[in-house]
Amino acid sequence: MAFPHRPDAPELPDFSMLKRLARDQLIYLLEQLPGKKDLFIEADLMSPLDRIANVSILKQHEVDKLYKVENKPALSSNEQLCFLVRPRIKNMRYVASLVNADKLAGRTRKYKVIFSPQKFHACEMVLEEEGVFGDVSCDEWAFSLLPLDVDLLSMELPEFFRDYFLEGDQRWINTVAQALHLLSTLYGPFPNCYGIGRCSKMSYELWRKLEEEEDGETKGRRPEIGHIFLLDRDVDFVTALCSQVVYEGLVDDTFRIKCGSVDFGPEVTSSDRSLKVLLNAEDKVFSEIRNEHFSNVFGFLSQKARNLQAQYDRRRGMDIKQMKNFVSQELKGLKQEHRLLSVHIGACESIMKKKTKQDFQELIKTEHALLEGFNIRESTSYIEEHIDRQVSPIESLRLMCLLSITENGLIPKDYRSLKTQYLQSYGPEHLLTFSNLRRAGLLTEQAPGDTLTAVESKVSKLVTDKAAGKITDAFSSLAKKSNFRALSKKLNLIPRVDGEYDLKVPRDMAYVFSGAYVPLSCRLIEQVLERRSWQGLDEVVRLLNCGELAFTDMTKEDKASSESLRLILVVFLGGCTFSEISALRFLGREKGYRFIFLTTAVTNSARLMEAMSEVKA
Amino acid sequence: MRRLISACLSVGRKYELYSMDWDLKEELRDCLVAAAPYGGPIALLRNPWRKEKAASVRPVLEIYSASGLPLASLLWKSGPAVSLGWSAEEELLCVQEDGVVLVYGLHGDFRRHFSMGNEVLQNRVLDARIFHTEFGSGVAILTGAHRFTLSANVGDLKLRRMPEVPGLQSAPSCWTALCQDRVAHILLAVGPDLYLLDHAACSAVTPPGLAPGVSSFLQMAVSFTYRHLALFTDTGYIWMGTASLKEKLCEFNCNIRAPPKQMVWCSRPRSKERAVVVAWERRLMVVGDAPESIQFVLDEDSYLVPELDGVRIFSRSTHEFLHEVPVASEEIFKIASMAPGALLLEAQKEYEKESQKADEYLREIQELGQLTQAVQQCIEAAGHEHRPDMQKSLLRAASFGKCFLDRFPPDSFVRMCQDLRVLNAIRDYYIGIPLTYSQYPQASCKDIYSQLVLRRLYPLAIQICEYLRLPEVQGVSRILAHWACYKVQQKDVSDEDVARAINQKLGDTPGVSYSDIAARAYGCGRTELAIKLLEYEPRSGEQVPLLLKMKRSKLALSKAIESGDTDLVFTVLLHLKNELNRGDFFMTLRNQPMALSLYRQFCKHQELETRGPGCWSGSFSGHLGLLFAAHPRIEGRVAALQTAADAFYKAKNEFAAKATEDQMRLLRLQRRLEDELGGRFVDLSLHDTVTTLVLGGHSKRAEQLARDFRIPDKRLWWLKLTALADLEDWEELEKFSKSKKSPIGYLPFVEICMKQHNKYEAKKYASRVGPEQKVKALLLVGDVAQAADVAIEHRNEAELTLVLSHCTGATDAATADKIQRTRAQAQKK
Repeated sequence: MAFPHRPDAPELPDFSMLKRLARDQLIYLLEQLPGKKDLFIEADLMSPLDRIANVSILKQHEVDKLYKVENKPALSSNEQLCFLVRPRIKNMRYVASLVNADKLAGRTRKYKVIFSPQKFHACEMVLEEEGVFGDVSCDEWAFSLLPLDVDLLSMELPEFFRDYFLEGDQRWINTVAQALHLLSTLYGPFPNCYGIGRCSKMSYELWRKLEEEEDGETKGRRPEIGHIFLLDRDVDFVTALCSQVVYEGLVDDTFRIKCGSVDFGPEVTSSDRSLKVLLNAEDKVFSEIRNEHFSNVFGFLSQKARNLQAQYDRRRGMDIKQMKNFVSQELKGLKQEHRLLSVHIGACESIMKKKTKQDFQELIKTEHALLEGFNIRESTSYIEEHIDRQVSPIESLRLMCLLSITENGLIPKDYRSLKTQYLQSYGPEHLLTFSNLRRAGLLTEQAPGDTLTAVESKVSKLVTDKAAGKITDAFSSLAKKSNFRALSKKLNLIPRVDGEYDLKVPRDMAYVFSGAYVPLSCRLIEQVLERRSWQGLDEVVRLLNCGELAFTDMTKEDKASSESLRLILVVFLGGCTFSEISALRFLGREKGYRFIFLTTAVTNSARLMEAMSEVKA
Repeated sequence: MRRLISACLSVGRKYELYSMDWDLKEELRDCLVAAAPYGGPIALLRNPWRKEKAASVRPVLEIYSASGLPLASLLWKSGPAVSLGWSAEEELLCVQEDGVVLVYGLHGDFRRHFSMGNEVLQNRVLDARIFHTEFGSGVAILTGAHRFTLSANVGDLKLRRMPEVPGLQSAPSCWTALCQDRVAHILLAVGPDLYLLDHAACSAVTPPGLAPGVSSFLQMAVSFTYRHLALFTDTGYIWMGTASLKEKLCEFNCNIRAPPKQMVWCSRPRSKERAVVVAWERRLMVVGDAPESIQFVLDEDSYLVPELDGVRIFSRSTHEFLHEVPVASEEIFKIASMAPGALLLEAQKEYEKESQKADEYLREIQELGQLTQAVQQCIEAAGHEHRPDMQKSLLRAASFGKCFLDRFPPDSFVRMCQDLRVLNAIRDYYIGIPLTYSQYPQASCKDIYSQLVLRRLYPLAIQICEYLRLPEVQGVSRILAHWACYKVQQKDVSDEDVARAINQKLGDTPGVSYSDIAARAYGCGRTELAIKLLEYEPRSGEQVPLLLKMKRSKLALSKAIESGDTDLVFTVLLHLKNELNRGDFFMTLRNQPMALSLYRQFCKHQELETRGPGCWSGSFSGHLGLLFAAHPRIEGRVAALQTAADAFYKAKNEFAAKATEDQMRLLRLQRRLEDELGGRFVDLSLHDTVTTLVLGGHSKRAEQLARDFRIPDKRLWWLKLTALADLEDWEELEKFSKSKKSPIGYLPFVEICMKQHNKYEAKKYASRVGPEQKVKALLLVGDVAQAADVAIEHRNEAELTLVLSHCTGATDAATADKIQRTRAQAQKK
């Protein structure tokens, strides 16, 4: 059932080197402050740090106690304090308050702040303003790439999305360029580069500049990875906003995968403890089902359980020697598999309980309707009902955004009424949320002023509500075709299905959305790789509003081996979803490629929406 | 070459470096003279004040290279100078009588000046010495009050007044600055006594083994490395020993009682021989650990310059170097020497003559097994030769000898050739740096460039770097950068031309920082040029700080924004915020949307607590106001909301203004509800407020609120339905359902009853569900049979399938049958 890789699929480069590099650098920084010290870690850095260096390594380098950076006075009595933080103003205030409290109490201690992945001037400014700049020493831990899996590198910068796409803050671009530079020094230059989006272009240019400054090092190295594809999240919001139905995506949507591991609560483990499970290719069971459509997973798991039972059963009728062999060699593996199987069956049950209800079916139905662009009026009232019933603030926002993007903005009347409804349900502070969504282009209003709208409003006064809706639909479809609709037609994103879509043996990438929609981002990558450039996709690029922002850069040298030319690094700036990863893995299997994913963070629709909402502090 | 061989004294030799054709108008003795070590330049200040001359004639300060080429000449306009000296960085220090030290560059460009303190100013300067320490160059001053003041490093000026010497009534007969254990001392002679001054105390010292009968010391000399000391007494006796005065090395009696003009050490590092050169008006004497001395007659006025490995002697016409003959050279050139090196040299000469003697000589060396040694000797001796032809013949000999050796590491030979090429190049008359091979490693390659760069000999410096294959970043780039820094000082060339010339030459040479050059240009007061140069700087991170320093903040802002580096933009923003008043600041930001948005973001994090939203215009102000609305007290919140609403109105954002006003109304109402009903209402959304009211049984009020805030019917029905079901108030729910026709249909009623597991109630509503959803409703309450009937009645295939999927077990078998039959019938038709 799980698809094996094609026999000629290229080997992936070994990314564990990145971990070692980060660990060594951290140890070096810790050793810069000799003697016992307490380490304060920012909550967001805890999980990534855990993947790099565990507590015993930290203890080896004289870290005494570990604290979380939070807004509480520290109880540490150590003479040396070390802070491991992201470069945020909030954190600087925290450090400054600690130092100033010590000063008041007449204590002198040593303070060291380690910024990851880099130091920002604004942070030093804050320290200076607080009058503690001289008391604190600053360092950088250039830890920007965490290998979450054999083919997935994450920068673990969820704030990238909000900072860049909402606030227009370009500070992380430098970090991205540095990370790419690191990759090219370790794994050789990339002979073919493609990209789309403003951020991609800027990162790419900055990266090139870095390479030029330090030229000579990568020259002459054989490239290990043949292609790199950079993609901005705002090129394709639609895919990220859809509900995920591939197993890994569903687990992420339901339980939230954090830094490659997930906390399964008591309802999954069917005990009173929750269990932290690392989800990657090493988990034999998981690696077989992660890319599967959820409808197949349960069948697969039960088959697996039966196989396991059969293997257990073999021991009957064994003689002593065979039994000894069995116990010493196979039993451990079987037990391990057994444990994993029970975890995933538990997770499946839990997901089933939540998702097989009618609500979810309707939700998916509405989503598909939005993607395909029919029954807009019905979908709009569904969303309205969704808001009225206070089902979930994040879900409602998501549906509104999906509606807006697929329709090129909401009709002014709908825009106002949905907003009013939403504010009534969840409070007026969400005015800010709406302003954010508007700025990011996620939820917009169709420009009024079309003559048609005027006619339409006159007509709609004369007829009943329902009829008016229908008329509006007709008018808006006349007025202009949304870009998404045109793109979907151009790139054939909505596959034509004759009969049932066979989710067990998928034909195309649409299977990650139950056969209803091929992820736009993945389709773009597929098309560009096929053509080896953006040539012939001019119309698509124009529709994406990226006229100037699509680029191709190929080096003429033919040093790249055919093996490396089938390795593709896809860089998602602003995050990617597990569905996209699954879809590209599928594409790779079909075409004999292997994809490597680099993302600023793994994201999903809920995370995107949360990044946009303004919650009262 | 003259070779001076004496049976008793170790060999010493003197050779001519340059014949000087400087056009000296005065005698050397009439000038203040200073020559820098390591073949450095010579400074002469003519017409000093000690001679009574017509005051109307201004003295002239002249600077020459060691080969006598004029480097600078300037009219001395300051006060009387007492002493001249060169610092380690080849800056000329001129000590004036009033204790002010003027610092000039190699080309006579005035650099800076500093004072040696008030005490010196009051008592005037009697005498001054410039000396070199590990830290740099020091100045020691003897004042008119017979007190000493010194500074060990003029780069980091710290004046130290030395303690008083007891009973000192007149100036000491001679004195010198000593540097031991990283501390500077003063050694002075008063009559027959010697005193050592450190910064704490004055102690009398006596040199061990000093001959009796000394009534006064006339001259003293410290060696180049401060290790040895020589004293010349009025009896014509010279004592030589260690500078610590703990050990005597040797003594010599020259029987000349006249005070010598100069006395300097002449020894090479790591050599056992000690020798001192003493100069009188017309006589030069080299004395050492031997009963005899070597004497030279001086034809003209001469001046001695101590060097690391010898003494430079220059006069009007010549510039000579006197040094102890190195062992290797001595071995080779000694008359009738049988040293392996000498034999090898002979062998090579014979070989060139195509004589078979070459073979004999070679055999002789080889028989002794000394060929390796011979080659090494020749290489070493070549290094100590001044004349290229001698160097060549020695190197040729070495190369010849090498052929007969199997394994001779080539690097010493190669390095010597390289070094000699460099040395010969800089010894050239036009360059005039007569560095010896022993001084060369001391001076190190780096210093050679800096010496050349100081002399503005950029092309030669670059050639040398290229010849030695130094990495560009270390060599050529640095020299180019120096050149550019010099270029920007040429005030007569227009900014445009300078910038273009620099860019043409430098291009994208790695390691050259345009911002450094620009900083230099700015230092020279050429701001416009600096800005032009910064255009070439590829790294914005370097551009921006300098622009800020030059107060071109707006340009800095646009550069920072161009770079796309948010961090830089922040830097500029925060700088601007402090520099400009608020109005200007916002005017500047207005044209830079990116900066504005960044500043907004910053304010959100940073200044919420300190500054109100007032400074912003438009919607953003309203948004900030909303953020403020998290105020702990209701009144504060209402006020913040009011500001927000006003701002929204101003920005013509009617929707937001309306929403904000509604919120204010709601807040006041919630407050009243809390007062009247108790419980918590504040902070709830409108929906939640109504729900809470319904749950609390205040139906009337809930209705009122819904009317006031124009809650749509649909929402109200959903809300009430959910709330009543939660309360399990079935009676009320039924009443509510009958109050009017449900705008949301009756299926939700069925659903919600089933959720609460109340099948009885659910059935009541199932009958009222509209025909479209009837099947669903019936299935929900579990009435499969009736659902089937309805579906059949509708003749709806999808509904039939749905019902069929619900048919489980035997109980529904009949129903399933029925459906199948209907289907079959339908198909027949």
